[in-house]
Amino acid sequence: MNDRAAAGGTADAPADYRVLVVDDDLDMVAFLARLLRDEGLKVETAGDGASALMQVMTSPPDLILLDVMMPGVSGFDVCRQLKGDESTALIPIVLVTALEDSESRVRGIEAGADDFLSKPVKREELIARVKTLRRLHDTRKELESRRLAAEVQRKEAIRSAFSRYISPRLADRIAEAAGEHGDPFKGRAQRTSVVALFADLRGFTRLTERNEVGAVVAMLNEYFAVLTEAAYQHDGTIFNMAGDSLLVGFNVPFAQADAAERAWRTALEMVARFEPVAASWRERHGLEVGVGIGMCAGEAIIGNVGSTHYASYTIIGNPVNTAARLMQMAAAGEVLVCGPLFERIRQLVPAGHVAMRGDVTLRGKSESIPVFAVRAGARENA
Amino acid sequence: MTKNIHTVVIAKDLADLIPVFFRNRQKEVETLRSALAAGEFEQLRQLGHRMRGVGNSYGFAKVSEVGKQLEDAAKGGDKAAIAACIGEYADYLDKVQVVYE
Repeated sequence: MNDRAAAGGTADAPADYRVLVVDDDLDMVAFLARLLRDEGLKVETAGDGASALMQVMTSPPDLILLDVMMPGVSGFDVCRQLKGDESTALIPIVLVTALEDSESRVRGIEAGADDFLSKPVKREELIARVKTLRRLHDTRKELESRRLAAEVQRKEAIRSAFSRYISPRLADRIAEAAGEHGDPFKGRAQRTSVVALFADLRGFTRLTERNEVGAVVAMLNEYFAVLTEAAYQHDGTIFNMAGDSLLVGFNVPFAQADAAERAWRTALEMVARFEPVAASWRERHGLEVGVGIGMCAGEAIIGNVGSTHYASYTIIGNPVNTAARLMQMAAAGEVLVCGPLFERIRQLVPAGHVAMRGDVTLRGKSESIPVFAVRAGARENA
Repeated sequence: MTKNIHTVVIAKDLADLIPVFFRNRQKEVETLRSALAAGEFEQLRQLGHRMRGVGNSYGFAKVSEVGKQLEDAAKGGDKAAIAACIGEYADYLDKVQVVYE
C-alpha cells in the first residue's frame, strides 16, 4: 500500500487554472502534482477513475492528466465518458501512457484524448504540454467570451428592432430563436393560417380638418399607443400602420393555437381602451370618434417584401383584404367578423351583442361572405 | 562526495517526496515477494509496469529498468527471472544514495 500522505489533495496555489491529476499510483500523483504546483497551477488529485468522474462532474477542472492503466474504471473509460458528455467534452485530457505503448495511444485517440504524455514523465515535456494546452484554453475562453458578448449585442439589436412591431414577449422569442447570422426572417416567406385584424378611427377626417397638424399627430400617437398596447397584450404582431389604420396579425410569426380568441380579445381591448380617449377628445375638441374593426381568418403569405433598399415584414392575402373591407364598413365601437372566424369565437361573444350582417359582397370580390357584427363597446354603433 | 553507480541525483524540489517514495518502494518489494509466492503473474506484471513508469519519472532509472525486466518476466511466467529481479531491486534499494541538486 502506498503512503497517501504524499499524494496531497487540493493545493492552495492562487492560480485559477485547475489541473486534475488521476493515477492509482500515488507516488506518480505526488510527483505530477509537485511539478505542476511549482508552475503555479492549482492541482487536484484522484486515485481512480470513478473518483475522477465524480470530481469532474462536481467541479470541472481546466485540464485532466489521466493515467491509462487503473483498476476498475480505466483511463479510456473516463476519457470516453467525459468526451461523450456535452458539459465536459471541451475539457482537455492528456493521457499518460508508456512511451512505446502505441496500442494505448490508438485507443486513447479513439476515446477522444487531446494529447499524450509518456511515462516515465519528463519534467520539461510535462510543463511544455500543459503550457500549450493552457494557452489554447485561454484563447478558447477569450473567444467564447467575445462570442457571447457579440451574441448578447446582436440579440439586443434584434429585440430592439422588433419590439417596435411586436410585443416584448414575441421580440424575446425572436431574439432567442434567431440564428447565428442576421435577420431571423430572411428567406422564411411562408403560407400559413392567420387571423388578420384591421382597426381604424371613425371620425378621423373631421379630426384632421378641425385641428392643427401638431395636435393631430399628438392625438394619433395617443390613439395608436392605445391600440398597440392592446395588440401587444395579446401577443399580436403589428404589420402595418398607415394613416389611422392598424393591421395586426395573429398566429404569426409564431403559432398561436388560440389565435382567434386572441384577436377577439384584442378587438375588445382596443375598443375599451380607446373609450376614455374618445371621451376626452369629445370634451376637449367636440369630436365624435371611435374605433372600427374588421377581422378575418384564412391562409396568407408572410415574409419580407420589398427591394434591397426598403423591405417590410408583410402579410398578404385574402384574410387581410377582407379584414380591410370589413374595417371600412364597421361603425365606431363595432367589430365586423367574417363567418369562418366568427364560428371560432362564437362562444366568447355575448348573444345580445351580435347580429348577422348577412352575406356581404365585398368590393373587388365576386362571391359574398357571411359577416357578423359585434357591438364591442359601451357606445355601441355610435 | 564520490558518486558511484548507486548514487542518484534528484531535483531539490522533490526532496520532501523521496522518503515517502522509498517507503512505498520497500513495501513494493514485500508485495512482489508475496505475489511471486502466490504465483500471481498478472499482479507482478502490473507492479513491474508501475515501477517502470514511476522510477525514472523521479530520476531512479534503475527502478524503471528492473520494472521492465519484471514485467517481461511476469508475462512469460518465468519465476526464476522474477525472483532475480526482486533480489536485484531489494539490493538496489538498500544501496542507493540520493544527492539533491
